Amino acid sequence: LADLLNMCTTQQLSFVHQFVSPLLKKDPFTSLPDELCLRILSFIDDPQVLARASQVSRRWRDLLSDDVTWKNLCAKHDYGRRLSEVYYGVPSYAASRPGALPLTDPDYANHSFPGALPGSAAYYAASRSVDGSSDTALIERPKLRSYKSHFKQRYLVESAWRTGGRHTTRTITQDGRVVTSLHLTPKYIVVALDNARIHIFDREGNALRTLQGHIMGVWAMVPWEDVLVSGGCDRDVRVWDMANGSCLHTLRGHTSTVRCLKMSDANTAISGSRDTTLRVWDIRQGVCRNVLVGHQASVRCLEIKGDIVVSGSYDATAKIWSISEGRCLHTLTGHFSQIYAIAFDGQRVVTGSLDTSVRVWNAYTGEAIAVLQGHTSLVGQLQLRGNTLVTGGSDGSVRVWSLEKMCPIHRLAAHDNSVTSLQFDDTRVVSGGSDGRVKVWDVKTGHLVRELITAESVWRVVFEDEKCVAVANRGSRVMMEVWSFSPPEDAY
Amino acid sequence: MSENNGPIMVTLQSNDMQQIQVEKAIVERSMLIKNMLDDLGDGVIGQTIPIPNVTEPVLRKVIEWCEHHRGDPPSTNEDESDNRKKTTDIEEWDQKFMQVDQEMLFEIILASNYLDIKPLLDVGCKTVANMIKGKSPEEIRKTFNITNDFTAEEEEQIRRENEWAEDR
Repeated sequence: LADLLNMCTTQQLSFVHQFVSPLLKKDPFTSLPDELCLRILSFIDDPQVLARASQVSRRWRDLLSDDVTWKNLCAKHDYGRRLSEVYYGVPSYAASRPGALPLTDPDYANHSFPGALPGSAAYYAASRSVDGSSDTALIERPKLRSYKSHFKQRYLVESAWRTGGRHTTRTITQDGRVVTSLHLTPKYIVVALDNARIHIFDREGNALRTLQGHIMGVWAMVPWEDVLVSGGCDRDVRVWDMANGSCLHTLRGHTSTVRCLKMSDANTAISGSRDTTLRVWDIRQGVCRNVLVGHQASVRCLEIKGDIVVSGSYDATAKIWSISEGRCLHTLTGHFSQIYAIAFDGQRVVTGSLDTSVRVWNAYTGEAIAVLQGHTSLVGQLQLRGNTLVTGGSDGSVRVWSLEKMCPIHRLAAHDNSVTSLQFDDTRVVSGGSDGRVKVWDVKTGHLVRELITAESVWRVVFEDEKCVAVANRGSRVMMEVWSFSPPEDAY
Repeated sequence: MSENNGPIMVTLQSNDMQQIQVEKAIVERSMLIKNMLDDLGDGVIGQTIPIPNVTEPVLRKVIEWCEHHRGDPPSTNEDESDNRKKTTDIEEWDQKFMQVDQEMLFEIILASNYLDIKPLLDVGCKTVANMIKGKSPEEIRKTFNITNDFTAEEEEQIRRENEWAEDR
């Protein structure tokens, strides 16, 4: 054969080559057993490659419809929420419907949002800004999705966060006001302002109604399904029905501005005030159940988990209280000046202060666990989720910390001015600053993913899996931008 | 055990009845053979181990790989761990080693699977994965001489089903 080929002209050899080379080629997926084919595919982490491969032939298509490959891919991309969504999704929605049994287990709110690690639910407990989306998303979508369609859905959402998404802009007021609070719930977007008004929108940003009754600025509010509890400079705590706009109760007792509000269950709201006290309210009966006295100055922030409420004060201490007993269990001392932010996951309390430090405390013993240094100015924003803590300060930086190692993971030069708002989940950190920017960061790498909004000053920003809402000043107006990162319906 | 006699040798016999003498330490990269040898204990010396599923050229190729990688640290139990995430990086020697025709490549994959040599199996699978990457469906067909057995309608439908991944 070699002699024969030696006698051939180049042209003939070229013919031989063209003739022979396909014969040397072989379809790996017909030559190898399924198990090895899937092993080959497991080394591919780019969905585009897999999608193209599935168009090669029937054999390839069938192999690529095997869910193992997509399960691997979900794992590689950390899209691992499918099981919890499927398993918990429906019952949790049913349980959170009005008319359901009272939530006797105080931790229930957390269990019902399995995507959330302990902590996130505490921080955004009542508004469920972080994980509430899985509820609503589930009613609209098929409950049992294959890993492939799950991957596809998540992939489309992720790429929309990076480069796509649709948004609408609404004007909230024509005159520049201060937006004090923003919540995104499974039904509503709620915005509170220093002009005594509370605006309620649907989740697309269409105005539904305005709650009027407060006579001075609203500085704190907390939603729970259709109920909203609010408070502010007029010292009143008001309970509203957001579905029809009526004011159910006006609760009196505080002698100065109500500065923070949280709910521990559907009946119980706790307010913190400049009058140095916390009040525990039964919002169904409309009565004050308890007054928690002990702080020496304004109560600036509070957080609830189960029967425990923790409060941070301008007296530089934080306190851990039993709600049912109405007494202080521990006083956390160590900060040198006012505490502006607090987080609590049931075990650890984290406080942010004007003294620029962040402190971590043991909630059972009240002992200090760690002092996290790094910020150069007031730490006014913090969120705790699992072992990850994210803080934001007036120095414009956002810091991601590991509470396992008590050390910094990322330091993001986020904003030219104060960080006014921040939130994070397993995938991203979203921060808003008084420099007018909303920035999206990759929580794992610390890289800037995108600048979502440019305005003059961002008041607040909240997000969930497929939605992000920001309120900001533009010109002399207060504007709201509602971003959606949901794939188009026909993508399923 | 037997320092005087130099390395212990074992004899492998391929499915085409060819006998190959190999150092025991080298063939023990194969978990299949290692377990077999462990079971046999000292009785192994002088015996011929049949490898009925592998032909001589493939077996020689596999032994070549084992020889080169004899110094590698033993593979940890990394099946589902980070190693997988590193996808398709292949060291240079292995890349050259895998420059064989497709028939041989697939034979090596089958043999390493049968002989239970995970690192070699992974190199083989990564090599195939790399041949798939970055190609259009038509280019993949050309690479492996695959006939497109979709009808025109099927092809259009499956193209639309997979459009989402092209959008980036």
